[in-house]
Amino acid sequence: MQDVTRTNWWKRMILRTIAVTLIGLAIIGPLAGTLIWSFAEKWYWPSAFPQQVGLKYWKASLSGQSQVMESLWVSLLIAVIVVVLAMLISVPAGYALARYDIPWKRILLVIFLMPQAFPQLPVFINMTSMFYRYNLVGTVTGVVAVHLVVSLVYSVWITTAAFKSIPVSLEEAAVNLGANRLKVFFRITLPLAAPGLIASSIFVFITSLDEFTGTFFVGAPFIQTLPILMYTASMGYNMQYASVIAVLLTIPALFFMLVLERFLKAEYISGLGV
Amino acid sequence: MRLASSKQASSVSKPGKTQRPRGRAGQSNLSGILLVLPALIVLGVLYIYPLISSIIMSFVSEQGIGLYNYRKAINLYWVDIFFTIGITLISLAIVFIISVAIAGYLRFNQWPFLNFVYRLPLFIPFLIAGHSMRVFLAPHGILNIILTRITGIPELPGLAFGWPGLVIAFVWKQFPQATLLILGAFQSVPDSCIEAALNLGSNKFRAIWQIVLPIASPTVLVAMVLTFVSTIGCLTIPLLIGPSKPVMLPVDMSFRITYFNDWGVANALGVISYLLVIGLSFYYLRYMVKKEEA
Repeated sequence: MQDVTRTNWWKRMILRTIAVTLIGLAIIGPLAGTLIWSFAEKWYWPSAFPQQVGLKYWKASLSGQSQVMESLWVSLLIAVIVVVLAMLISVPAGYALARYDIPWKRILLVIFLMPQAFPQLPVFINMTSMFYRYNLVGTVTGVVAVHLVVSLVYSVWITTAAFKSIPVSLEEAAVNLGANRLKVFFRITLPLAAPGLIASSIFVFITSLDEFTGTFFVGAPFIQTLPILMYTASMGYNMQYASVIAVLLTIPALFFMLVLERFLKAEYISGLGV
Repeated sequence: MRLASSKQASSVSKPGKTQRPRGRAGQSNLSGILLVLPALIVLGVLYIYPLISSIIMSFVSEQGIGLYNYRKAINLYWVDIFFTIGITLISLAIVFIISVAIAGYLRFNQWPFLNFVYRLPLFIPFLIAGHSMRVFLAPHGILNIILTRITGIPELPGLAFGWPGLVIAFVWKQFPQATLLILGAFQSVPDSCIEAALNLGSNKFRAIWQIVLPIASPTVLVAMVLTFVSTIGCLTIPLLIGPSKPVMLPVDMSFRITYFNDWGVANALGVISYLLVIGLSFYYLRYMVKKEEA
């Protein structure tokens, strides 16, 4: 009797180990490969590990004058501007969508959802041709505009949800005590909604940092954000540089998203870094 | 550590709807519009206008107004159109199987390892997913380093730069979101329904297939729509890991612009890609609006 349970236990352990290995290999394998490549100074087939491991490419990438650092600053500058603009626009919009009875609300919802429901590439292409007319192609302004439209959909949804989660009764109580509407908003509503709004800003930040396709058209050839530089490096088989940038871009995304998980709806994340 | 599922999300959205401020309906209409206006203007100018102009410009060519761009697009790219549909459908089918299997398993069992690890690709941008798969699936990539050791065969063909690599990359990037949505829907199916089926002699597999999946089907369909649309419209993964011929439609659109400066045909291909998704998009939009208004 005991023998049977013991063999069963072994069987289950072996099955589980095989399952963990396969799932781990399938999901973590590609990421681990990129991480290893970023530290590989020499790696020739068919060695299982790099012949020479070191920080050479990390140092070269992160030294003051490198192209990677230049791109990092451009990316950060653009991301910060996009966050400020996106929040300035989506806080009022989110509040109105959460609290007011807006006519044609349904049409508004559809407009805010459309970028997710249709392929975006044709829009980027025509935005580029529109920007050519106003000399915005290859400028920071142009790239900010693309990132803004890509992230606005998410920021409006997240801020709307943030405001909706605050009970109206709290605002009404303050109004009954004699506060005016503006004061109620800044003293009561905004502080209560702050966690959701911060989540929204971070989401916008990451979206902008990782955005590729729109920047590829509107930013070319002068604006080299990190994703653009990574793409160029990867296509040119500069595997180490591409992998260093990939790791640089992944760490903040992974970190913030894991921290912010509870604020995010599954639908939001689909557009990340398209 | 859980992402808000669609079920939780809709329960959050309810209070705002029922407890709206009373007694200033007339005034709030106007200020509500004013508050939404900046967002609406930005989306109007930077999204709706380019969208409409992509449709209009697809009919305009040196030959005047007509279907010239479409004839040229279909003549040049009909193989790519079918290739795009094929890759998207194969990826979609695999994503469906994997995500229903994982969601079904996690509906009945606790397995923290799986529950954590399946979500990782969700937070990896498409571009980096493409690059990582390039490193992983190349002829001398990480996967073949492992496989050649296990099998003892000195050289194996790489999966990258062919349709299998493309499908693998899409599935890897897309299944977590589908799983997340479907698991949320599965968890909102009451235990009593499932227990009833199990008591009547059904096994867990059949309970998922015949009871849980049909009840959860609206959300499952939404998950499939989102997967379909983002696969068919993705530029980065086909560029980084796809074959050089045939290619997927977004790559054709991009090359039409960068190499040929031919905006008309690029827009015709864009409209064709709209037409490929339009039925699904309408379903998704209707579902989301209904959910928001519920």
